[in-house]
Amino acid sequence: MKDVMGVIYTGDNDARLRELTMTRAIAALPVAGRYRVIDFLVSSMVNGGMRNVGVIMQKNYHSLMDHLGSGKEWDLHGKNDGLYLLPPFLTRENVGVYTGILDALRSNTNYLSRSKQEYVVLSGSSIIYNARMQDFIRFHLDSGSEITLMYSKNPSIQRDEYGTYLAVGEDGLVTDVESDPAKPSYPNTFMDVCIMRRDLLRSLVDKAVAHGQHDLIRDVLMPEVQAGHARVTAWEYTGPVWLIDSVQSFFRFNMDVLNSETRAALFPADLPVYTKVRDEMPARYTEDVTCVNSLVADGCIIEGTVENSVLFRGVRIAPGAHVKNCIIMQDGHVHSDAYIENCILDKQAVIKRNARLIGPDAYPIVIAKNVVI
Amino acid sequence: MMRKKTCVAMLLAGGQGSRLGILTQHEAKPAVPYGGKYRIIDFPLSNCTNSGIDTVGVLTQYQPLELNAYIGSGAPWDLDLTNGGVFVLPPYQKGKVGEWYRGTANAIYQNMAFIEQYHPDYVLILSGDHIYKMDYNAMLQHHVRHGADATIAVREVPWEEASRFGIMNTDSEDNIIEFEEKPKKPKSNKASMGVYIFTWEKLRKYLTEDEADKSSSNDFGKNIIPKMLADKQVMVSYSFQGYWKDVGTIESLWEANMDLLANPMPIDLHDKKWRIFARNPGYAPHYIAEGAVVSDSLITEGSEIYGHVKHSIIFSGVKVEEGALVEDAVIMPGAVIRRGAVVRRAIVAEDAIIGAGAIVGEETGNIAVVGFEVELPAGVSVSAGQQVDDKTTF
Repeated sequence: MKDVMGVIYTGDNDARLRELTMTRAIAALPVAGRYRVIDFLVSSMVNGGMRNVGVIMQKNYHSLMDHLGSGKEWDLHGKNDGLYLLPPFLTRENVGVYTGILDALRSNTNYLSRSKQEYVVLSGSSIIYNARMQDFIRFHLDSGSEITLMYSKNPSIQRDEYGTYLAVGEDGLVTDVESDPAKPSYPNTFMDVCIMRRDLLRSLVDKAVAHGQHDLIRDVLMPEVQAGHARVTAWEYTGPVWLIDSVQSFFRFNMDVLNSETRAALFPADLPVYTKVRDEMPARYTEDVTCVNSLVADGCIIEGTVENSVLFRGVRIAPGAHVKNCIIMQDGHVHSDAYIENCILDKQAVIKRNARLIGPDAYPIVIAKNVVI
Repeated sequence: MMRKKTCVAMLLAGGQGSRLGILTQHEAKPAVPYGGKYRIIDFPLSNCTNSGIDTVGVLTQYQPLELNAYIGSGAPWDLDLTNGGVFVLPPYQKGKVGEWYRGTANAIYQNMAFIEQYHPDYVLILSGDHIYKMDYNAMLQHHVRHGADATIAVREVPWEEASRFGIMNTDSEDNIIEFEEKPKKPKSNKASMGVYIFTWEKLRKYLTEDEADKSSSNDFGKNIIPKMLADKQVMVSYSFQGYWKDVGTIESLWEANMDLLANPMPIDLHDKKWRIFARNPGYAPHYIAEGAVVSDSLITEGSEIYGHVKHSIIFSGVKVEEGALVEDAVIMPGAVIRRGAVVRRAIVAEDAIIGAGAIVGEETGNIAVVGFEVELPAGVSVSAGQQVDDKTTF
């Protein structure tokens, strides 16, 4: 699918992720032991044949730039197209601070107009999926519609509040869009992924911004569907999908990946998820350790007890330490005889000897990056 | 014109490694997996990168497919460069003549044009048979300081084993005065590691002369080095301390893997200043299931452990099913150990499947080997020291 480009918007709202997004965008959040959220999005696009992927960045984008680099890990470092990192900038037309994806696209209109592809897949970045993009693109081309939205009925996307829901007819036609209802009328959650012609996107963006509109869903999609100006269809993604918009949903995603069936569905053999490689040695287990129902990345040294947890690269669990229902990011260290339960340790966090830290099930404790307890 | 390089490395990776038995039936020895996520060649290549040597020729001729694909552009070792980088150099036709590499020296001779492109002052000769971390730049400084024509890396081996090696007899200034191949009565315990640095002008001269000598077997150890010594060239030894393991046989490959389970590891693979780089298969972290028992082992990405893993090395994408026992074993990428199977003191090669209830290896005795993509039927036994390939019948 050389004729499709991808654009990922990483300015999503992150207030409910507490310390985890203090120094990074949601897209740069470490997940599932060795990935960042954006790895799933970029890998989906690349596996779907897209050779031109733009990442629109907003705040705290340093870690995102550091992670994506030249795009080499995704084979996006070629001479033609490749990975485009689009940080905010100030010019006469561009305020640098985007109020939403429309603003952001308007500011990057040069990138959009210079690109050669006929179609654009737009994706939000507070979401994790591994979609077969060829199927999505094929559906769109076959449907003859102007815009195709990706949606899910998978229970994994369940959420307590906020969300965009679609009424989808049998022919895939979208007949209604509702945004942030207290009680959704439809089971179909919009995944913040859509495809349309590049020139249509440009004109929609231009029109909306010229009228002072900022919201892609409320200001563009809804009116198009309601007025019937554009034919909007929807394609169902049946794989597992998670919205990462709060500490709870972040925690739930990582715990869900401990399920072998879920993991197999998220990581099909023919849709590998690429990420920045750290060249750590394999994880090392010493004698007399217990490790059950856990994901463990390379570079870890396990000398204690690990239960129902996700350990990122380079984590050390000292002898006598006990870790239960925890997510421990890169280079975290739990010292001897410490006990932690329902905790999320950000990168390089250290739990000292004999410490006890137990979070409630519904509200995991977040230990910020570099904090020593 | 290419930019000049001070030192170009030439890695001899053409060896068949026949002593590795069925493990090298489909891939050259340097491509053999080691240590959970590496291949043997990752060690010399990473040593080059970490030593600041960025131009490496890899000479292949036996089963090169796997090795070519593995090296690729050289990106995993940061050797995908505009000036320099890694180059796979198979034998090729020259005019009407084409020939295989006849010996280690001949392999370099046939690639003199490659070396000449970089106008190097020095050439580093490496082999792809050993597990070690070595700063080649420190060795190069030693070579320059001594104004040597050739420097040979040596390590001290136990005296009783010295007669198995190529031994360098030196004076107190590290000058090599004599070289003895497998001496019956060794005068020194400094064994050659097969790592040489030559001043390129000298080596070019000797390679050309050696090629003209029809009686020569075109080998560094047998011909070039003895000839240079006889001609009173400046030959010095460079002592290497640290872990070094020849992985030329099934037993030594198994041992070298088991060495990584010692505490502390005799070769520090956690060292952030001297990373061993490898091509990454891109799997999710490994998963240890409820009910699994894991101890004293190395396990890497993409593996799923439901059974019992004890004192073993588990490579990427391996599955150990419920009720299976893996002990003192090396399980290479993609292998599956089915329910109730027992694998002890064994090497299971890439993508092999050990059928349910099968027994591979014994608690004592030689190492059993199950070869590449072999599907071992359920319930069968493979005894100590036995090698099973796709032609073995049960």
